[in-house]
Amino acid sequence: MKSELPWHSRFDLLGVTFILFLLGALGSLPAIEGSGRSLDYWGNLGRFASRFLPPDWSILDRTIEGLLETVQIALVSTLLAIIISMVLSIGAARTIAPLWLLWPTRMALNVIRTIPSLLWALLAVVIVGSNQLAGVIALTFYSIGYLAKFFSETFEAANTDAQKALRTLGASPLQAFQYGLWPNARPVIWSHCLWMLEYNVRSASIIGYVGAGGIGLHLKLYAESADSWNKFSLVLLCILIIVTILDLTGEKIRKTIRDKLEGKNSL
Amino acid sequence: MTSPLLTAQGLGIRIEDRWLVQGLDLSLNAGSFVAITGPSGSGKTTLLRTLAGEIKTAEGTVNYQLDCPTRLAMIFQDLQLADGATALTNVLGGSLGRHSFLSTFWRFPHQEQNDARRLLTQFGLSDKADQWTSTLSRGERQRVAACRTLLTRPLLLLADEPVSSLDPNLADRVLTNLKDSITSRNGCVVCALHNDEQVAKFANTALRLDPSDPHGWKMEIIKQDEKE
Repeated sequence: MKSELPWHSRFDLLGVTFILFLLGALGSLPAIEGSGRSLDYWGNLGRFASRFLPPDWSILDRTIEGLLETVQIALVSTLLAIIISMVLSIGAARTIAPLWLLWPTRMALNVIRTIPSLLWALLAVVIVGSNQLAGVIALTFYSIGYLAKFFSETFEAANTDAQKALRTLGASPLQAFQYGLWPNARPVIWSHCLWMLEYNVRSASIIGYVGAGGIGLHLKLYAESADSWNKFSLVLLCILIIVTILDLTGEKIRKTIRDKLEGKNSL
Repeated sequence: MTSPLLTAQGLGIRIEDRWLVQGLDLSLNAGSFVAITGPSGSGKTTLLRTLAGEIKTAEGTVNYQLDCPTRLAMIFQDLQLADGATALTNVLGGSLGRHSFLSTFWRFPHQEQNDARRLLTQFGLSDKADQWTSTLSRGERQRVAACRTLLTRPLLLLADEPVSSLDPNLADRVLTNLKDSITSRNGCVVCALHNDEQVAKFANTALRLDPSDPHGWKMEIIKQDEKE
């Protein structure tokens, strides 16, 4: 005889949260109002789009210069963030740090993560002025919030068998960490770093909007001057190209690392 | 006759409420190869880990006559290798006990690297030295783990089924290497084995465990210690 599950067994944690989400979203619909004026939405969109095209190629050189600066900001800030996060992550890893260090570090990281990159950029511009340094400071802080969390989680999740084996074979705790745990965590940490670099190139493209260097400043200028939407679109196109390239290569590298660690290919 | 490296008297080991072995007297002599056999679950791994000092004895005593504790080393059944490191680096892990953190921080001493490569070659892994261990087969990983333990230069080697994933030819080669490298420096190999042919071929003494009776263990002399 087939035993039927009681009807309420569907309402597990997953089911209940999904229903709550659906109710919340539908309940929020009345809050979304237009301006109240009767605007020709589609007509506006069409006119706006037509000014975008074709992109104005005459500013390509200037744009590439701006992009280069953007990538430089992303590179420097990611490097700084990796170094600082490496230290902080040890304080935030449950398996490594004592409790009195663990919670303050985690709280600090939570606070850092709460602040969006644009706000970090505003803060940095107020302190060091409108330049690339502000961008580097902003993105470094922003990245630390994420990288330190990722790193500490990686250390917590990494397989510790080899570390323990090396201890019984005579290695000191530091040596066992370096040769037993670190090799297991390193590929994952490296792929987090790559992801952060991609993310920072994207973020670095927008923080210029508040004066923190990079291509964002160009976006702001073109958006605010009349009839420059075709220049604006060229900048967007360039950002799109560079972000796509980074995305694809990053994904490829991450997949290779993942496969190698899981033993799928023999490189 | 040489003095034993390890003696156990009235040894009893227990997992939770179940006795695996009781009243075991054991003497591990220099130059000998002792095989521990018995069906799965008869307590081979637990006995080895007890001899290694990882598990406390439930009764009886174990005495070591080794000049320093690192002269005892174990090949783990679950291998415990670092997946994201090369086979060579994993093997070199066995030499860490001889060097300070700073002297191995950047690279291992040349002599150790040569020794590690020589071991890998002996075990038929010379072309795999620079591969991540995650990309190696189970049998290859097993040999890497054996090489790592041998590089600690143990006098008393405890090996937990070190050839379980190897074909008979390769298994013979590995057991020959293990036995030669330990007995040549007057050490002793204690090895959990499943295959009776291997026991007959390599062991001087065989300890057969009985899963149904903790007192049912039997000690068989296969052949006299070659060193005596």
